[in-house]
Amino acid sequence: MNKKIAYVLGAIALLIGLWGFYNRFAFGDENAAYGSIVVWGLWVALYFFFGGIAVGCFIWASLDLLFEIPALKGTGRPALWAALVNLTAGMAAIGLDIGHMERIIKAYLQPNFHSGIAQDVWGYTIFGLLALIALILAVKQPKNAAVKIVMALGLVVALYVAGAPGKLMGDNATRMYWHAGMIPVQFLFFALTTGAAMLLVIRGFFGMADEKQFSVLNISAAVLLVINLYFVWAYYSQSLAGNMPDLVNPINAVLYGQYSTLFWGVQIIFGAILPIVVLTQRRVAGGGALVGLMGLFILLGNVVARYLILIPAQQVELLDGLSTAFTGRGFSLAYAPSTTEWAVASGLLGVVILGLLVGADLLLPLFTKSQKEA
Amino acid sequence: MTNEASLLDKYTSEVFAGMVAPVLEGMNISAAPADDPLVKEDVLFRMNTELKRALEKPASERRWVMVIDLRRCIGCHACTVACIAENKLPPGVVYRPVMIEEVGMYPNVSMKFLPRPCMQCENSPCTEVCPVIATYHNEEGIVVVDYDQCIGCRACMAACPYGARTFDFGQTYAEQLPVFEGAVVGGKTAAAYEHASQEYGEARPRNGKHESPVGNARKCHFCLHRIKDGMLPACTTTCIGRATYFGDANDSTSLVTELINKPNVIRLKEELGTEPRVYYIV
Repeated sequence: MNKKIAYVLGAIALLIGLWGFYNRFAFGDENAAYGSIVVWGLWVALYFFFGGIAVGCFIWASLDLLFEIPALKGTGRPALWAALVNLTAGMAAIGLDIGHMERIIKAYLQPNFHSGIAQDVWGYTIFGLLALIALILAVKQPKNAAVKIVMALGLVVALYVAGAPGKLMGDNATRMYWHAGMIPVQFLFFALTTGAAMLLVIRGFFGMADEKQFSVLNISAAVLLVINLYFVWAYYSQSLAGNMPDLVNPINAVLYGQYSTLFWGVQIIFGAILPIVVLTQRRVAGGGALVGLMGLFILLGNVVARYLILIPAQQVELLDGLSTAFTGRGFSLAYAPSTTEWAVASGLLGVVILGLLVGADLLLPLFTKSQKEA
Repeated sequence: MTNEASLLDKYTSEVFAGMVAPVLEGMNISAAPADDPLVKEDVLFRMNTELKRALEKPASERRWVMVIDLRRCIGCHACTVACIAENKLPPGVVYRPVMIEEVGMYPNVSMKFLPRPCMQCENSPCTEVCPVIATYHNEEGIVVVDYDQCIGCRACMAACPYGARTFDFGQTYAEQLPVFEGAVVGGKTAAAYEHASQEYGEARPRNGKHESPVGNARKCHFCLHRIKDGMLPACTTTCIGRATYFGDANDSTSLVTELINKPNVIRLKEELGTEPRVYYIV
């Protein structure tokens, strides 16, 4: 039953997305809401989000396929598949965001390795290839020693690319809000958390996990959420204490201003505190839809967290009066995603949902027999 | 004396000076020293001469700088418009906006104007973050964009501390205009004009929503295509208050060298260490 609902939701999301994809391909970036002041919008946040899930899933897969932790037995292959599906969505998000996606080949042929974006392109490419090889090996020849070698190499690359998008932002000394050493580390923990959340969604809604496995996943997710909250507290409190306007203004917008509902409501309460409370209860150790729902809440909280790191930093005047010195497309400090951007986001979500389901049905034993029958 | 009386005194003196000036013609009375080059010729002539002199040198020995005298800027936006016309900039793309700030409280109020071209930083954050080396310093040190190389990731725009780059979303001013076949007015004629950009010395008609420079980050390049032909940047020649100066700072006798070596000269966000090549006289 869960699976049928998921198929329908995925299909609807993709259908909406097709209109967004058409709009993007036919009219370029013209119908997107980002501009020349807020230069990176929803699609970049989704790139960080889906890319983070992909890397997180791979790291979780390594606990099974590389370190053979008994409590996580059987999570490796579904986690690798989830990594590849989310990576596809993440790369599609950033591909649609850039003005000339057909020129991405230049990042391979003529890269500037000082650039965080070039590092990301190469990092994610190597990561994706290793994840694909690891999955093929894990499915076809699970006993082959090559699985562990590829997983070990992949783990090193995954640890790098988990923080790489954070480094891409942290490199940017122009935006004080991003230019903090803890941003890449925070992104690593975001990735680990969303990887765990994705496994909770898969396991919680579609079963095939014993109580012990759920206990490990539930408690791990809860601990990672606490660490994420710690990062938020550390970053915001020290930034506010520094009292530099370029840093304080975006944080005030998040804590008390236009983003306060998203921050307190979605990121903190629904995306962290509620899952922590629920997942640490003994009664959900056996899994179930409630655990899956908590996984979804964590993912939702995380995408909001990425958005709230990305957008407010760009809504700071670089020079007094710059945003009003000229009028026209993209000259505004305000940003709200356009219909096209939302439609594309919906399409990417549809790709992920359907990708997980189709992959699970055709390639991997993501579902238990009893739930398939259900 | 009250403020009002002081103001009246000042302006009546100037009016009087204007009335007696014709009488004093030929009497060699001047408020400025006789050897001041600004008195003898328009600075544009001097800058043009110096530009041609600089062009005789190898490109790597030139150091183009721009100097903007904020005391002379009246906020007319002629430079902004000239730049748009020269480079056929589409809607939403601007290389040289003029920022306006109202300062003070009534009755002591005034306006500040700050034209902001690309700073052509010597330590430019924008070039470092480009993943495909599409933006770089040319041999004269000017930060340029290779439109055919740029992937449109906008990392340079996020990195620029001066907000000096804008994204080309593919719009045109002429696209909404009615078309009159064979007429010298209307959408077709306007489009032909708008599509005739010669930036970087390349003819780049705007074809559709996908051909560069659509989908690229764009920026001021000190009108390199004009400089190559011995002409000053469009903003410099258009400035009605002669508030913008341009030239080779490696030429010790040039006007810009004179101007930037004075104590009342600043550069924007100098503390960042970006070493801008745009100086402001305050």
